[in-house]
Amino acid sequence: MKIKKLGILSFAVILSLLIFLPNLSFAQKEVKIGVILPLSGPLAPIGKSLKDGAELAADIVNKKYPGIGIPIADWEGIPGLGGAKIKLVFSDSRGDPAWGAEQAKRLIEDEKVVGLLGAYNSAVTKTASVEAERAGIPFVNPDSTSPDLSKRGFKWFWRVTPHETWFTRDLFDFLDGLVAGKAPGIKAVPKSELEPLAVAAENTEWGAASLTEIEKFAKERGWKIAEAFKYPHKATDLTSEARKLTASKAPTYLFASYIADAVLFVKAMKEMKATPRLIWGQNAGFIQPDFWKTLGADVNGIASRDVFSSVLGKVKPEADRINKIYKERSGFDFDGSSARDFIGVQVWAHALDKAKSTDPKALQKALNELNISGKELIMPWKGVKFGSPFPGDTNQNELGSGIIIQYQGYPDGKPEIVFPFEMATSKLIYPFAGWK
Amino acid sequence: MKKKSGSCLLTAEVFFRKRDEMELVVQLIVYGVLMGLIFALIALGLSLIFGVMNIVNFAHGEFLMVGMYIAYLLSASLHLDPLFSLPIAGLAGYLLGVGSYRLLVHHILRGPMVAQLFGTFGLMLFLRYLAMYIFTPDVRSVKQGILVGKTLSMGWISVDASKVFSAGICILAFAAVYWMIYRTKLGRALRATSIDSEAAKYMGIDTKGMNAFAWGIGGATVALAGALLAHFYYVTPTVGMLFTLIAFATVALGGFGSIVGAFIAGIVIGLIMVVSGQLVSELKFSFIYIVYFLVVVFRPRGLFGW
Repeated sequence: MKIKKLGILSFAVILSLLIFLPNLSFAQKEVKIGVILPLSGPLAPIGKSLKDGAELAADIVNKKYPGIGIPIADWEGIPGLGGAKIKLVFSDSRGDPAWGAEQAKRLIEDEKVVGLLGAYNSAVTKTASVEAERAGIPFVNPDSTSPDLSKRGFKWFWRVTPHETWFTRDLFDFLDGLVAGKAPGIKAVPKSELEPLAVAAENTEWGAASLTEIEKFAKERGWKIAEAFKYPHKATDLTSEARKLTASKAPTYLFASYIADAVLFVKAMKEMKATPRLIWGQNAGFIQPDFWKTLGADVNGIASRDVFSSVLGKVKPEADRINKIYKERSGFDFDGSSARDFIGVQVWAHALDKAKSTDPKALQKALNELNISGKELIMPWKGVKFGSPFPGDTNQNELGSGIIIQYQGYPDGKPEIVFPFEMATSKLIYPFAGWK
Repeated sequence: MKKKSGSCLLTAEVFFRKRDEMELVVQLIVYGVLMGLIFALIALGLSLIFGVMNIVNFAHGEFLMVGMYIAYLLSASLHLDPLFSLPIAGLAGYLLGVGSYRLLVHHILRGPMVAQLFGTFGLMLFLRYLAMYIFTPDVRSVKQGILVGKTLSMGWISVDASKVFSAGICILAFAAVYWMIYRTKLGRALRATSIDSEAAKYMGIDTKGMNAFAWGIGGATVALAGALLAHFYYVTPTVGMLFTLIAFATVALGGFGSIVGAFIAGIVIGLIMVVSGQLVSELKFSFIYIVYFLVVVFRPRGLFGW
């Protein structure tokens, strides 16, 4: 009897070993995350920096990086999955919504990824995340800022970055702060010196959303707008648009443009000897390394909203250490885009660790309950925790925030933080000195 | 007295508003013509190749990109003023044109029409992605040069000095090509080939040589335009794409094969672009294609085509 019992028991043990062995060997395996980015076409320079950011984060999760000071640097793979390595499977969206959705489908069905990350262009994120929602696979979006994306009530979509609404609010907090004399080292600026505003936005979903947000906040906060228009992106020539800005006689120019158009706008404004007092770019083209590499000293005094600056290291030493490694690998400092894709992979790593499984339901729960402290992030954020910070938002990180940088001292300068005022790394250059 | 000063103010206000408007109009015309001349020079080669051989060169924009990279590379690596790169780009463009004809186009001419279309389309993709491989997709620009970043101010109009210089070179290039085609024996042979290739062959004209020559001139002019454009425009492997569509519209508007047509149509398109950019920027390309569409419907051979 006893022997029989022992036999059954040992049989059960062997059987369970057989069943669980594949899972044990899984410990040495990889977890595939599909990453959709614009890796070709006009957005390819941005796509490349995003890829570099995501790859560095995966490397830091997979290998030990002593002395960095954030938990994932001490990991060797995902601890909750027995040290499984993160493998990023990149796919080129070409910046095309239909093609991006196709890639999401392919990654889910053929590559069998456990989740998705991407896709930078809001329009691509919109279509690609529909595929993830349909398949019940988590889609983590670290880098698209169109406010609508988190207002669709999706159950499988989490947005890590603050969206346009935040950044636009930051802009008006900045403008109101200048008027109130809150900017360190600058006397209170009379509102009449900054008003009215002139806005140029590219005619894409992102550009249009930026423009709407600016108009909304301007109305709420009582700022007059003299001129606001959309222009065809990837334009061959923007002189007439720049002329429109100078003709408006507005002292403050606001832009929502990608790199090629941002370069053309600055060149055209310089050509026209435009004399605005303040120039602010809505991230994107205005914070690309190519922007200052192409324009050199002509970027001095231009401000842009951002989510990251390499001078952040003055306040956050971890960010500085990670940036050094990134620069060694890619030749550039982190920018707001690449740093956010770094965080995107970090969010995935924590979610996988917390879920202790690659089952979609478990991952969904882990993401919903995720709470990463701001200390672990290379961003000026309070952390990552998904909720509903603005009306209608679901699964939107509540703890994010933006900054405003200003190019100072180029070609050898740095983008200095000028907002939030309490985090300023340098005195704001005001008014804009014009181009020589 | 009081009334008088009031009316003075009013007149002054009207005067200044009028002046503002006048300034705007003059500035737009200047910017439109300057940009239009570049468009015209870009379209010239496309029109010429089509006129002589009835073949559309889809890789035309990529020839432009090659010219831009030549200016960029000479400036970035040898610190050569981009002005010196003009003849080098022109020569390289000529060789690229002749090479494309001898190695590719000449062979695919034997195939059906579709093969000819895909042949130059393939060349376009090849050049574009070769550039992407060599130079990465980064956006670059020429930073140093006598004219780079300099502005010319004439009263209240200020324009990029390199645009003015480019416009001058465009006019010279047009004059040279026009003279060559209508005033020289070589040009007469080229025109004969374009009108009736078979008959020209019987008359002892080396039509293959003429075809290659047309491709050479086409390549040279567009690469020259590229080196000029690099003075004030950014350089990236996909930059040709933006200008190819405009070049097609320019050629169709001016008339396929017409040199004068390409010249006028380039300026017209430059003007449409700045004016519509001022009115409804979002629709500025639509305006160009509406004009193009109207011309195609009401005058299919274009403004100056035969």
